[in-house]
Amino acid sequence: MEQQYLTIALSKGTLLKPTMELFERAGLPCEGVTEDSRSMVFDYEQPMIKYIMCRPTDVPTYVEQGAADLGIVGKDVIVEQGKDIFEMVDLQYGYCRFVVAVPEEMENFRLADLNYKRVATKFPVTAERFFRDQGLQVEIIELHGNIELAPLMGLSDMIVDIVSTGRTLRENNLVELVKIMDSTTRLICNRVSYRTKHERIQPLIERLQSLAKGGNSK
Amino acid sequence: MKKREVPKGLRDMLPEEVKVKRNIERKAARLFNSYGYQEVITPTFEFLEVIESGAGKNIRGELFLFLDREGGILSLRPEVTVSIARLASTHLRDEMPQRLFYISNVFRHVQPHLAQYREYWQAGLELLGAPGPWADAEIINIAVRLLRELGLSKFKISINQIGIFNALLDDKALSGPEREQIRALVESKDLVELNRVLSTMRIDDGLKETIASLPILHGGLEVIKRIPYIEKNRAASAAVEELLQAYAALGQYGVLDEIMIDLGVLRRLDYYTGLVFEGYSPDLGYGLLGGGRYDRLMEQFGFSCPATGFAVGIDRLALVLKCREAEPHHCLVGGNNMDEVLKHCQELRQAGLVAEMDVLGRSREELQAVVESRDNWSLEYLDD
Repeated sequence: MEQQYLTIALSKGTLLKPTMELFERAGLPCEGVTEDSRSMVFDYEQPMIKYIMCRPTDVPTYVEQGAADLGIVGKDVIVEQGKDIFEMVDLQYGYCRFVVAVPEEMENFRLADLNYKRVATKFPVTAERFFRDQGLQVEIIELHGNIELAPLMGLSDMIVDIVSTGRTLRENNLVELVKIMDSTTRLICNRVSYRTKHERIQPLIERLQSLAKGGNSK
Repeated sequence: MKKREVPKGLRDMLPEEVKVKRNIERKAARLFNSYGYQEVITPTFEFLEVIESGAGKNIRGELFLFLDREGGILSLRPEVTVSIARLASTHLRDEMPQRLFYISNVFRHVQPHLAQYREYWQAGLELLGAPGPWADAEIINIAVRLLRELGLSKFKISINQIGIFNALLDDKALSGPEREQIRALVESKDLVELNRVLSTMRIDDGLKETIASLPILHGGLEVIKRIPYIEKNRAASAAVEELLQAYAALGQYGVLDEIMIDLGVLRRLDYYTGLVFEGYSPDLGYGLLGGGRYDRLMEQFGFSCPATGFAVGIDRLALVLKCREAEPHHCLVGGNNMDEVLKHCQELRQAGLVAEMDVLGRSREELQAVVESRDNWSLEYLDD
């Protein structure tokens, strides 16, 4: 069968560096891949691999629609978007967690005390589902950045956000009340590519899997 | 300007799109007919009870529902198989097996995106009252022939026997909640979480590994050898045997080039009961067709009988296939004497040509310009 191009959607930002380190160890081409570069497509005729540089939140869309065969993206984004994709490998890096955080003075609140309160978040689906599963109703206020500002300015009573160290929360006098879930970076795959380009994708998955588990390549 | 809007997820189809669509439909109907399948038409909407007893309660969020004047809840059909099961169990139960096909629009309240509308078209067939590998192989073969006939290159049909997975889930080592958890993770294709959950369960390592690897096992006959645990489970072994028999029958049909065995085809686990399959083109990120054996659907309508079938998405096929049938030559007829023009048009039509009369009384030069801008058109201008 003729060789086919493999297109991989990469997440710009903090995930890019560890991703390229992993790819290098896996023997994938990495030369010249930076997000500062003006080009958004990196094409390697040998071994027929193409990377596309995407905003993390766009990666599942590229993969679901088949514009990319594979993608590298955080579990937080996958959960929020609920796209129809295969989640193949836990790459382990890029750890963060979804939390409910409240102003320090609410530190001793129980979850039930949050009923009918207002929550600011970049992740409305995840937030809504979490509270609904607890049997609680909250008012979701969707924002696009600097979520910590919302309780400070009285826009919301609490926030649902991802944190890694928790420093930003502390700096804004917020405390973590409940952890919703952990998140790490995942390799995702288009459901059709997985079948039509199986010969190329399967060995790659196995290599990344063994590297992620701490084993050696090959 | 609300007057010009159409509801979200719906669309107009313009002449060029309709030509592609009709070409697909004609070829599908001709092929289905040649295997003895007869067309049926079912109502555009059904009682919600009919839809739910056939397709399950989970489908409810995708239905377009409305009320009739007597207070009954109606649903636009989200698929046709359930309606055909109802139709056959009502009208055709004395004449089995039945071979039926349909070409129909269906309606789902989903988030529209590429290749997914809220009203879309399906061509499908059902073979009712026939168990066994020859029945399974017949419809899979027809799916392959249809895609070949349409000139699609490089497509693949993945086949699986869903009983393999279900038998492993029924293994007595697993508790009820564990089964549900595994089933949900497999259906949502979250293999990372599946592996994590399996690693915490206290069950046989062979069973663990087998369940973890099923969703990604893919290839020719050799994939069966990669799941040795199956020999320990009698129901799973029987399902494997059925898969092998159908595969052998497909060999007799001469379609194995396009067939893969793919134990990851785990669609609608509560609905299908045996051999299942899906078709893909590398040119589209979504599946083209899907189907399988559903031996427990008909009994919902009071007539227990084995059944298998598939449906292909006409809109999705149209995205990967731009071709349409060759069109007949098109004559544009003009002139000053309308009586003569009309008469000449009639003659051309009787001779089997397409004749379009210039009702605007344009000059020869104007008409010549029209004809030159189009393929396969010619002008016949009648002088006095």
